[in-house]
Amino acid sequence: MSKGFIVLAQNTNDIDYIHQAYALALSIHATQSETAISIITNDNIPEEYQEVFDQIIPIPWITDTIPTRYVAEHRWKIYHVTPYDETIVLDTDMLFLQDINDWWWYCQDHDLLFCTTARDYKGDVINNSIYRKTFIANDLPSPYFALHYFKKSERAEYFYKTLEFVVNNWAWCYGKLASEYYQNWLSVDLAAAIALELCGYNSSADVCSPLQFVHMKAGVQGWHPAPANWRQTIPYSFTKDGELTVGNIRQHYLFHYVEKDFIDLDIIQKLKRLANG
Amino acid sequence: MTTGALIFAQNTIGIDYVKLALFSAKQIKKHLGIPVSLATDSQAWLEFYPEHTEVFDKIIPIVGNTTQQKKFYDGTLAYQTAEWKNLTRNQAYDITPYSRTLVIDSDYIINSTTLIKALNNTYSFQIFRKSFDLAGWRDTSPFDRINQYSVPFYWGTVFIFEKTASTRSLFDLIEYIKLNWEFFRIIYKIDSPTFRNDFAFSIAIHIMNGMTEGDFAQELPGLMTYVLDRDILVKMKEDKIQFLVEKAHYPGEYTLVSTNSTDVHVMNKQSLSRFIDGGYGV
Repeated sequence: MSKGFIVLAQNTNDIDYIHQAYALALSIHATQSETAISIITNDNIPEEYQEVFDQIIPIPWITDTIPTRYVAEHRWKIYHVTPYDETIVLDTDMLFLQDINDWWWYCQDHDLLFCTTARDYKGDVINNSIYRKTFIANDLPSPYFALHYFKKSERAEYFYKTLEFVVNNWAWCYGKLASEYYQNWLSVDLAAAIALELCGYNSSADVCSPLQFVHMKAGVQGWHPAPANWRQTIPYSFTKDGELTVGNIRQHYLFHYVEKDFIDLDIIQKLKRLANG
Repeated sequence: MTTGALIFAQNTIGIDYVKLALFSAKQIKKHLGIPVSLATDSQAWLEFYPEHTEVFDKIIPIVGNTTQQKKFYDGTLAYQTAEWKNLTRNQAYDITPYSRTLVIDSDYIINSTTLIKALNNTYSFQIFRKSFDLAGWRDTSPFDRINQYSVPFYWGTVFIFEKTASTRSLFDLIEYIKLNWEFFRIIYKIDSPTFRNDFAFSIAIHIMNGMTEGDFAQELPGLMTYVLDRDILVKMKEDKIQFLVEKAHYPGEYTLVSTNSTDVHVMNKQSLSRFIDGGYGV
């Protein structure tokens, strides 16, 4: 059974997602036992970046639709193009800080498993009641698409086909299944929540799952008042040994830095050295 | 191996800590049955309390010239800004006559046998992390973390340590933090320039844990029950203590609260002092 990570990246005018995916891939090479990572993109990948990716896969089935706010409309395609039997899907703006080999071991008993718990940098479970009102009010599961696992299986395929339907008909689906605190834009998390509900897969949100990450959205750090930017609020450092401390607290496993300028030249160079042993 | 308690008492113009320490020591001996030593820079005051020779196992002289200023409340309506000498706590490792030591503030009243379990286990360092405010309504978040941006809060009020290489490192680290307090308070985003043992212990434990959650410090059993200096100790009889705790939104009004067989940190030292003198703290 082949195993690997996968990211879908589409550059925008503001954000170089390919650069972020490159940093993520370096962190995987620096920390993981399973180091295969593929990228799904139609953007140009600089030659220097290409060597860290196992496969570079074009986004298939492009139509003339207008890109959505967070370019979520292609995410359902991941299942159909992954080269792996077992896949962990990630967002590009993440870094691995430690080996998560035991996650694979836990996930092998599942066909589909979503992360449902994110923590702040202090280690406290994030209170979603402000940012996930729609999920709570409509009694939906609360998955993070940014971190999930699937195995090539009927069950996972059914979910992804349902997700395709929800993404392509999101306004109608939101109206039917997420009408409280109606969200007037497509987010893949809400679409995935509805797809899980339609599939009857609430159990895919396993509370015992080890799939967790540190979520650095400034608004969920438990600060009052919430600042716009976490990097200007607390100190952080990334050492040459790959240890990341934020607010003097060492971070573990998977770090979702959110703010695009976090990956600077210094971090890239340290990651490159670590990835090359 | 010897086990005993150590109380620090450094008198100031406003507060007779030696008197409080004498009272606290009697409570320790009654409930925990261990010898108690006094670390003090105020030995001359002991002659006012002849019973000290029976209460204290050893008197350990310390030098503590450095003072800070702090606002001490006595109930919700009265306060005075007075001297505060709290910079000697990290000497506990070097001066304790015991191999296993309970270090305790002079305003922490032992009223139960709860800490016996902690004295008899094998952990090398134990301290309170969780606490309970007897008022029930006040914001306790300042005692969850040293501030909203930073590391878990530990109470320097009561702790038990055994002399080991790792606890030696902890006390050395606390000394280092104290000497470089301006640096540490900035990087840990502490607004107040006042040095606090609670903060120094919290930062040092965090560092000893490798800058993450860890098990260097084990939690003492139970909760660190406390009343603030805005509350008043009324009286104490056998193992029961009565307090007047401040009422929400009504300064100067109080609610009567009682504890039974519970150790309590009584932060209103004036009130505790009045009770020791005359049986009532109001």
